[in-house]
Amino acid sequence: MKVTYNWLKEFVDFDQSPEQLADLLTMLGLEVEGMENYGAGMDQVVVAVVEEKRQHPNADKLSVCRVNNGREIVDVVCGAQNFKAGDIVALAQIGAVLPGDFKIKRSKIRGEESCGMLCSEKELGLAEESAGIMILPPTLVPGTPVFESLGLKDTFFEIGLTPNRADCLSVIGVAREIAAKIGTSVKCNRIAVPEHGPSINSSITVSVEDSELCPRYAARAVHGCRIAPSPEWLVNRLAAVGVRSINNVVDVTNLVMMELGQPLHAFDCDQLVDSRIVVRRALEGEIFTTLDSQQRVLVASDLVICDAGGPVALAGIMGGENSEINDSTTSILLESAWFKPAAIRTTSKRLGLHTESSHRFERGTDIDGVIRALDRAAALVAELAGGTVAQGFIDVYPVKSVPPAISFRPERANALLGIKLSSKVMIDILRGLECSVTEMTDGILMVTPPSYRIDIEREIDLVEEIARLNGYDNIPASMPIARVISDRPSLHQRLESMLRNILVAHGMNEIINFSFTTPDAADKLLMSDVDPRRSVIKLANPLVEEQSVMRTSLIPGLLEAVAKNISHRSLDLRLFEMRRVYINRQNEEMPHEPIYLVGAFTGAREREGWGNSRDSIDFYDAKGVVENLLEELHISNVKWVVDTPETFYHPGKSCSIMVGKERLGTIGEIHPTVQKNFGLEKPVFCFELYFEKLVVLHRLKAAIVVPSRFPDSTRDLAMLASDCLSAEKILETVKGIKAQEIEHAEIFDVYKGAGIPTGFKSIAIRIRYRSYDRTLTDDEINIIHSRITENLVSKLKVSIR
Amino acid sequence: MREQLEQLRHEALKTVSDASSEETLQEARIRFLGRKGELTALMKGLGGLSADERPVVGQLVNSIRDEIENLFETALSAERERATVSRLQSERIDITLPGRRALRGSKHPITQVIAEVSEIFAGFGFSVAEGPEIEHDWYNFEALNFPPEHPARDMQDTFFTENSLLLRTHTSPVQIRTMLKTKPPLRIIAPGTVYRCDSDATHSPMFHQIEGLMIDKDVSFADLKGILTIFTNQLFGQKTGVRLRPSFFPFTEPSAEVDIACVICGGKGCRVCKQTGWLEILGAGMVDPEVYHHVNYDAEDISGFAFGMGIERIAMLKYGIRDMRLLFENDVRFLRQF
Ligand SMILES: [Zn+2]
Repeated sequence: MKVTYNWLKEFVDFDQSPEQLADLLTMLGLEVEGMENYGAGMDQVVVAVVEEKRQHPNADKLSVCRVNNGREIVDVVCGAQNFKAGDIVALAQIGAVLPGDFKIKRSKIRGEESCGMLCSEKELGLAEESAGIMILPPTLVPGTPVFESLGLKDTFFEIGLTPNRADCLSVIGVAREIAAKIGTSVKCNRIAVPEHGPSINSSITVSVEDSELCPRYAARAVHGCRIAPSPEWLVNRLAAVGVRSINNVVDVTNLVMMELGQPLHAFDCDQLVDSRIVVRRALEGEIFTTLDSQQRVLVASDLVICDAGGPVALAGIMGGENSEINDSTTSILLESAWFKPAAIRTTSKRLGLHTESSHRFERGTDIDGVIRALDRAAALVAELAGGTVAQGFIDVYPVKSVPPAISFRPERANALLGIKLSSKVMIDILRGLECSVTEMTDGILMVTPPSYRIDIEREIDLVEEIARLNGYDNIPASMPIARVISDRPSLHQRLESMLRNILVAHGMNEIINFSFTTPDAADKLLMSDVDPRRSVIKLANPLVEEQSVMRTSLIPGLLEAVAKNISHRSLDLRLFEMRRVYINRQNEEMPHEPIYLVGAFTGAREREGWGNSRDSIDFYDAKGVVENLLEELHISNVKWVVDTPETFYHPGKSCSIMVGKERLGTIGEIHPTVQKNFGLEKPVFCFELYFEKLVVLHRLKAAIVVPSRFPDSTRDLAMLASDCLSAEKILETVKGIKAQEIEHAEIFDVYKGAGIPTGFKSIAIRIRYRSYDRTLTDDEINIIHSRITENLVSKLKVSIR
Repeated sequence: MREQLEQLRHEALKTVSDASSEETLQEARIRFLGRKGELTALMKGLGGLSADERPVVGQLVNSIRDEIENLFETALSAERERATVSRLQSERIDITLPGRRALRGSKHPITQVIAEVSEIFAGFGFSVAEGPEIEHDWYNFEALNFPPEHPARDMQDTFFTENSLLLRTHTSPVQIRTMLKTKPPLRIIAPGTVYRCDSDATHSPMFHQIEGLMIDKDVSFADLKGILTIFTNQLFGQKTGVRLRPSFFPFTEPSAEVDIACVICGGKGCRVCKQTGWLEILGAGMVDPEVYHHVNYDAEDISGFAFGMGIERIAMLKYGIRDMRLLFENDVRFLRQF
């Protein structure tokens, strides 16, 4: 919403500078988002008189002028032809800077000295196009700045209005706010309408068939008009608030809308069939062509203004082509009405047709301001288009609207705001806002807001007005008394943060992807046709196709992040994401939003550096991170089950992570085809964990194991085993003899290749023996160790090396 | 005998001062003081002395032996010291070579800001609450006093799902869900992901908010101002100026935008604050009675306030990030700085 400083001054007297005014408005809740000092820096463009004009000696199309700038006479070379000696012109003097950062300098044009430039309206930024230089009115005084003497110097304010303040969608609305704040009132003169000739009733009849959607409809007729371009002041004024000039009549309706906030419409009276106006709902499927030449298909909830032949306007939104004002129009019907906001909004939204008019109607206009706006417009049309206003006006207003009387407790306002204002100060504030206030005997105030404040309906609305006008700055800052102690973060929240800490400690970087993804994500992961994750939640109005469905897996986004980083030459990556996925549920309206935790590893195992290895990271690095994570959550009895859990993993390098029958997640190398689908060249290792399962299986640490005080003794054991024999089996067999003296057993070497027969591998294990109550003797250890060896040989058919 | 002893003493002195290593010192020491050394050999001559002379010369022998012993001791320890210094010198390494570092991980800046804000509010007694991201119109709009067909809905461009749910446009529905299952007094904050159909340098279709809600007896707008002033001071620094100015949200009244003095220019005016010296960081207000009506609270009995802030906005201010999209590009060159 735009207003100008000069325009506001026409409605209210104030001393504030433009900057002070901007601050005052912002602190009233009318946030000034931008200010433009129009004409600032144009003081070097002055009014001047052309004393003499002669042909340039060296150029046919140029003239050399002697120009009086009020102080001296200077020579200026000019290319325009549309002026003569004695004309008053705009002279940009040496040093002036015109729009587009065009600096005026002393110059020689084809040998003739030129001390400045005679300007066109275009060059001054006053018009988009102009023919020749600007000829000014003869009344202007030479030497004065042009912008100042034309009254163009002004400050434009861009106000970011909140949707509740419909009343401020006008100059008078903003002026009222200023008046209320500084303790004065707006200037609101009676409008004199020069009426002549026959009554309006002889030229038009109006019937309102739907008074629910149109509670008030008023009209005036102006005959004998001449449609012409608007005068300069009107064009400029509209331009200042961002409205393009059309013609004198349409411009008047726009000016009054900007000034008073009441949208108006002008019909060509002679085009109205049977000289009738009917306000009714549209017929389902009725077709109507709006001013912008678009055919609109209407529905029964739309409100239309019709003549005897059909719609001539979409009520409150846009007029029709059929009754549009054109150059040959002479009779005008001016409409000023009040339409039900929700109805206008419904139609405007459905048709995607948002206009200055619909913007105001859907927020709510001033039902008591309808006639004033009509009168103001009729008087201006008569003045600018030379017509005569018919006697009287039509005003279909069957049920007079009565603003609510609100009971208001000053002490309630003080309690809610934490202030101590007297009832008297509050009454003054409310009266300053043009509310009528009656004091009741019990201290309660009965307050009736003015008709344009449709946002004030309840006591709390008045409390806000008190706070606003008294100033938010005048409310102290206090601390509430605590009657609550905060809960400890839930287990869920604590585990989330704990998991992040563990992964960060393992050198992983957290990423955040958008929750929406591309519909072909499941295809890229080779998911089967019956995979439930294909049943995605689709957005009805996505911004782009790639963000049109809610994700059911975090893996695609993770792999995309890997690919994108690799394209930036960040090759060694450890990424994780812990966020929600969105799962459709059978027979339930609300989807399930479980948190998943995924990680990806690729590139080198260690950081690049002079002492570090450049070995590639592999499956076991990823597994190690998950093992540490599960250990920290005290989840024990984890089984790594080879069951080809996901299509997107390499079938020989992936498994499920199970505790009993619960699957906690999966881990594996990304399938080569999937790798290719994401444009990845090197192997990527991923894990996926289901957070909710971790929450359920997570255990608090119950007790620690006291370390033994006795020395340990280790024995190594190397064996040749079938390639199919799993490490897990070997370790289980070792521990299977259930000797308390085995403190720890681990695999410390696995070797395949030269010296080992095909189909076999060499495995070395190290067993650490220790007792809690004594130092073990060699003999004791040998007995246990040979039992282990025998077990391995007999049960697993390994040969000891 | 005396001359011989004097001679020996002299030789020992010379030998020590000439010695160049620990080994030569050790050898010389054995040569002079060893069991088969020169002093022992000399002492065998004591027997040939008179009874008068013997104790005198004996004493002389002892004192010379002590002297020579001390001499060697001192020289040896000096030599050892020198050798150690020279060995350590030769073991010098280049400490300017970079350390062998393990990989350093990082939490996303959004996660960090959420944690920081939550921690501050935990100190004020606020617990963390959560809610679904795919929401009903009723929780996201209607219960928050956005009636259908109200222009206030234009303030938030909404994504709808094909089965007529929506992606929550703010974390405020968590207020409603919490109030429906909890009776006052209550203090909660609700961090979470929200969505709006908007995308440019300062808008992302997905972003994060933290909602706050406090309901109790006699909570006032002044209390809201107090809590938010302390919060912004704790987050941005003790002296950060705070300004509340009137605004509009359907679910609060009176409503306020909360500005802090620009952290970039200190309030003098710059590009980031659009020359105003102020940065908008929060929306807040007293909970509208209409909201209480929807959750069956008695607006006459209690009062409270709500506030909401954009996490990205705070992260951008804290870290001087100009383009919000950087937060969602997952570029490790960016992420590793956190
Ligand atoms: Zn600044």
